[in-house]
Amino acid sequence: MLTLLAVDIGGTFTDLMAFDEQSQKFYQGKSLSTPKDLAQGIIDCISKSNLIISEAKDLIHGTTQAINTLIERKGAKTALLVTQGTRDVYRIGRGNRPESYNLMFKRHSPLVPRQLTYEVDERMLSDGSVRTALDPAQLDVLSRQLEENAVEAIAVCFLHSYANPAHEKLVGEILKKKIPNCYISLSHEILREYREFERTSTTVVNAYIGPRMSGYVRSLESRLKEIGFSGELSIMQSNGGVMTPGVAVEKPVTMMESGPVGGIIASAEIGRALGFENVISFDMGGTTAKASLIREGQATMAEGYYVGGYASGDAVMAPVVDVVEVGAGGGSIAWIDEVGALKVGPQSSSADPGPICYGNGGQEPTITDANVILGRVGASDFLGGEMQLDLNSAIAGMEKNISDELGMDTNAVAAAIIDIAVTKMSLAVREVSVEKGYDPRDFAMVASGGAGPLHAVQIAKELHIPTVIIPLFPAHFSALGMLMADERQDFIRTYLKNMDDVNFDDLILIHNEMMVQANRDLKLSDNMIYQIKLDLRYVGQEFTLSIPVDIEQFEKRDRAGIRKAYDDMHEHRYAHHAADEQVEMVNYRLIATGKRPTLKLPSVASNKTTVKPGQRSVYFEDSSTAANCPVYKRDNLKPGDKFNGPALVQEYASTTVIFSDDNCVVAETGELIISVGKGT
Amino acid sequence: MSVKLDPVTLEVIRNAFPAMANEMAADLQRTSYNMMIYEVRDFCTAIIKPNGDLVSQNVGGVSHFVADLGVIVTDGLKQIGEDGFSPEDVIITNHQRVAGQHLNNIVIYMPFFFKGKLEFFTMVRAHWIDVGGMSTGFGGGADVSDPWMEGLQLDQLKIYESGVRNETLYKILRDNIRFPESSLGDMRSQMAACRLATRRLEELFEKFGKETIYTALDQVFDESEQKCRNVVTDIPDGTYEAESFMSDDGIALGEPVRVHAKVTVKGSDMEIDLSGCSDERKAAINSRTYAGARVAYKALTAPTEPVNEGSFRALNVIIPEGNIMMAEYPAPMSQWSIVVPTVVDTIIKALAPGMKEHVPAGHFGVLGGPVVFVGIDPKNKKRFIVQSIEGGGWGGRPGEDGASATVSVCQGDVRNATIEGIELKCPVMIESRTLRTDSGGAGQHRGGFGMETKVRNFVEGNWICEPPKRGENCPAWGLWEGNAGQVGDYQMRKPGEDTFHIVEKARNSVQPETEVLVRTGGGGGWGNPLDRDAELVSFDVAEGLVSIVAAKNSYGVVLDPNTFNVDVAATGSQRSKMRATQQTAEQ
Repeated sequence: MLTLLAVDIGGTFTDLMAFDEQSQKFYQGKSLSTPKDLAQGIIDCISKSNLIISEAKDLIHGTTQAINTLIERKGAKTALLVTQGTRDVYRIGRGNRPESYNLMFKRHSPLVPRQLTYEVDERMLSDGSVRTALDPAQLDVLSRQLEENAVEAIAVCFLHSYANPAHEKLVGEILKKKIPNCYISLSHEILREYREFERTSTTVVNAYIGPRMSGYVRSLESRLKEIGFSGELSIMQSNGGVMTPGVAVEKPVTMMESGPVGGIIASAEIGRALGFENVISFDMGGTTAKASLIREGQATMAEGYYVGGYASGDAVMAPVVDVVEVGAGGGSIAWIDEVGALKVGPQSSSADPGPICYGNGGQEPTITDANVILGRVGASDFLGGEMQLDLNSAIAGMEKNISDELGMDTNAVAAAIIDIAVTKMSLAVREVSVEKGYDPRDFAMVASGGAGPLHAVQIAKELHIPTVIIPLFPAHFSALGMLMADERQDFIRTYLKNMDDVNFDDLILIHNEMMVQANRDLKLSDNMIYQIKLDLRYVGQEFTLSIPVDIEQFEKRDRAGIRKAYDDMHEHRYAHHAADEQVEMVNYRLIATGKRPTLKLPSVASNKTTVKPGQRSVYFEDSSTAANCPVYKRDNLKPGDKFNGPALVQEYASTTVIFSDDNCVVAETGELIISVGKGT
Repeated sequence: MSVKLDPVTLEVIRNAFPAMANEMAADLQRTSYNMMIYEVRDFCTAIIKPNGDLVSQNVGGVSHFVADLGVIVTDGLKQIGEDGFSPEDVIITNHQRVAGQHLNNIVIYMPFFFKGKLEFFTMVRAHWIDVGGMSTGFGGGADVSDPWMEGLQLDQLKIYESGVRNETLYKILRDNIRFPESSLGDMRSQMAACRLATRRLEELFEKFGKETIYTALDQVFDESEQKCRNVVTDIPDGTYEAESFMSDDGIALGEPVRVHAKVTVKGSDMEIDLSGCSDERKAAINSRTYAGARVAYKALTAPTEPVNEGSFRALNVIIPEGNIMMAEYPAPMSQWSIVVPTVVDTIIKALAPGMKEHVPAGHFGVLGGPVVFVGIDPKNKKRFIVQSIEGGGWGGRPGEDGASATVSVCQGDVRNATIEGIELKCPVMIESRTLRTDSGGAGQHRGGFGMETKVRNFVEGNWICEPPKRGENCPAWGLWEGNAGQVGDYQMRKPGEDTFHIVEKARNSVQPETEVLVRTGGGGGWGNPLDRDAELVSFDVAEGLVSIVAAKNSYGVVLDPNTFNVDVAATGSQRSKMRATQQTAEQ
């Protein structure tokens, strides 16, 4: 009985991972994505795999379609309803220019034209009291205008609706009656937090992608039914949890990072299974590398981010797994800048034409070419030997573009390119760890993506990370992670009060309201975990820290304990605190998690016959002398196998590089566990 | 020094220093206590050599702090002596004789020692909300006539000596500023940021050793210099000049203040001569700063590269003593930065003929429309301060329209305060925040729009409404036949009044239920408005940002009053009529 299925749609490929609980076996599949009809791509991928879909209990789906719809500006014709006087709040934004010296800076581009932004005569104050009541009669004219303009989606964002959503609710009800086919998003349902620009932007994005994403989810549901799927469909969210199709239809904005987030969950789960609670997840693909931090089994979260970059992107304040991305991937191009310094990326040769060694017309040397030149990627073993790489062209291209100009040996240049890329990627890893106050020596790194295992050990050396784990299926890692994701919903409510004046009964009331919503949205309600966090700050500060608390602390009125936890966290993060100063509460957060039965990774067969590794000349630290290095085939390794570097471990879509002072052990469940700098 | 550098080490060190400065900035911002730091980012963080060379500085903050901490260090060494520093010393200073800025800008710095030798200083300059003196906030008005009226003057004092706090100095600070918990909290954040950088420096020195680091830095500086030179080489040699004005200095009302830039390009060298700017004034708009020249140079040469000592080596700046930009102590400086955006824009304007594809028309030119209202909340008897910086219009630029409602060329990642954030903390209501129709100068590429923010105060208090010094006689200029933008102002309606009146004075004590309009100017237009695509004009009118009257009178575009569709025939004849008039005017 096939129990679990995950499908991850990326820009190029649709990846499938399935797990059969009975036989304890994984299945993997890949097919080209079909941008015109993504649901069809999923169906194709399933048919190609010969899996019996009617036997699947769960299907988890992640996709980059939400973010692509936004970035490519292919969303719905959207209108925005705002409080009287705030028509331009969304256009004005915060008025900032993050690129301070750039005279040609770009601001964010609004998704709603001013013509479709309507002011409604109503006003709440910050304490939730009504200053100007909303007269429903004004919506008669307004809804006619919306209809005449053939608006497909409407975002409603009134001032202080986080404190009192009555007016937004009223407008929502009326519009639903008057324009039943329109997609409507109310800001307090999307983000119940103060700061009107960020809330408006998030709500507008939700409305803008809403019709398309809800149509997609609904059509996927019915297509799956047609091919005989009778299990539960779940959708991946940016926060690392899954949600029901019903919630996805209402809050597609939470699907922005639905694709990549799977890899981070898998890192956490695999780390935990192997006894590492603190893990740095590192993924390196064709164009970028991503790092994120998992502490005590939990991924680090950001409250939101800017899709398209901070300087001119769209503000989306929905909880998202905190990922730092740098422009270094296998396809990143090496080049010499105007003053003669060697640089790598962020330009990428991408899949087409690709690196020089692919022989598809690529002319510029890339990180992959450097790896081929050094023998770390085998020219005749790429994709299991299905694709022959052209070493000689890679060398010629490297000479022509780089070595000749720098007057350096080609091998040395190739090594330098990899070192520079490693430095860049290390900065990303550093940003999620050291810069947040965490010591990399307390972490293990789980490396995935086609190019991750090639560079992971080197990055670990740079940052003194003692252990690198190369999981099974490193190139299908996001889909694998989806199989392991729990159900999750994040709730937030602004409640701004001095900590001394916080009424704990209010907090319990807010909590109970959120619990009602959680029980409505999560289907695994018999196995739920609730985490409560209070966003606190010293009076006068703007930024907050989220302090975990529990409900008993409210019942016990434990002001002092909460306060102390805040001082301690401030000390930990910033190396100073102020015990005599007033603290205020800003937001109440509830994270509801529906635990799915944990997927236990099966053991790898241990009765394989030992196969002697192959040999290849590979350049490691010394780029002038090649080492004759053993090349292990991943499929041949069995639990308990041990070997020292230098060594390569080769598998279908990836190669792991292990240096002379490292050693590697194969875990019971097949992962390579590399002790960095601990070789004999 | 004869260390051979490999490209990798060079890259690591190149990236490490800006990363340190940015990390300092991020921590400061997240833990600071006043919006001038966490929203306005009115601060800079830097690592400086004892000789004053700038090793690295944060990016994204207020740009007019560019490379201006070197003089603090050289002065500190002169006063304290190279042997006078010990690890864990913390120095506080804001003295205008050297710093040349308003006293709110408090510099905190710490020495970094490696193996017992002084190598660098880690520094944070940040705008404290109050330093005593006549008023809170932005350093008081133009009529603050000397530094003693402005506030506490601190001249290279050790607030910590080898890690031990100087309690006397601390108490003097605490008892002579209005928001001690805020400012002393900011001081704590500043010190933590400095300490963080000394830790990072320690790690880096341990890893690479001193010689390698200094060799790499020399090379990084050289490369920065070379990049700037490459850009300047492409500008035709010659002398470029431009002139502009500030409406007045706030005291000698109606008497314009001259801003003038003479830029000489020769090969890869550039000289910016500001001798033609006004002499120092009795009003408090003086400063001692190269910021005007440096911000302009940086923006035109390598805007997205990190800042270091090499960034300005190929630039020579001439400002004589006694000039408004090089005023002699004790000239009043409480509004030190007010002239700077106009100086920057004037230098850029001067270079327009040499860099046609890189130069926008003039922007609104002031440091935002500051929204400042202070008082005591009768509910809790506590002082409150409403503060926001509202953006204005930028000039049209080659290929596209200017940005609307964005902070000035001297401000970077400076964010306005949110309506909800203000109302949660202060007894006021923001009644509206909108773009100003027709405020952007007409042009082939239109200037961006200014904005208007309307605030009602529920309790009595003081409105600070210093009239913007870019009035009717000196709006954001157009370029290549583009029109000027509209200018900004403050207006007020007291309880019982029917209409708003322009506010003339800086400090206004008001009753509850007073309303104030803070209006910012629009940007200048780029290119002849008659060359603007008529469909774009039609769209602007449909958006309600250009009036149908302005469409006809400024752009020569005639629209159907109901559909806003372009009347092609009428537009053709209107435009040829206007073109003829333009030609007559030229002759």
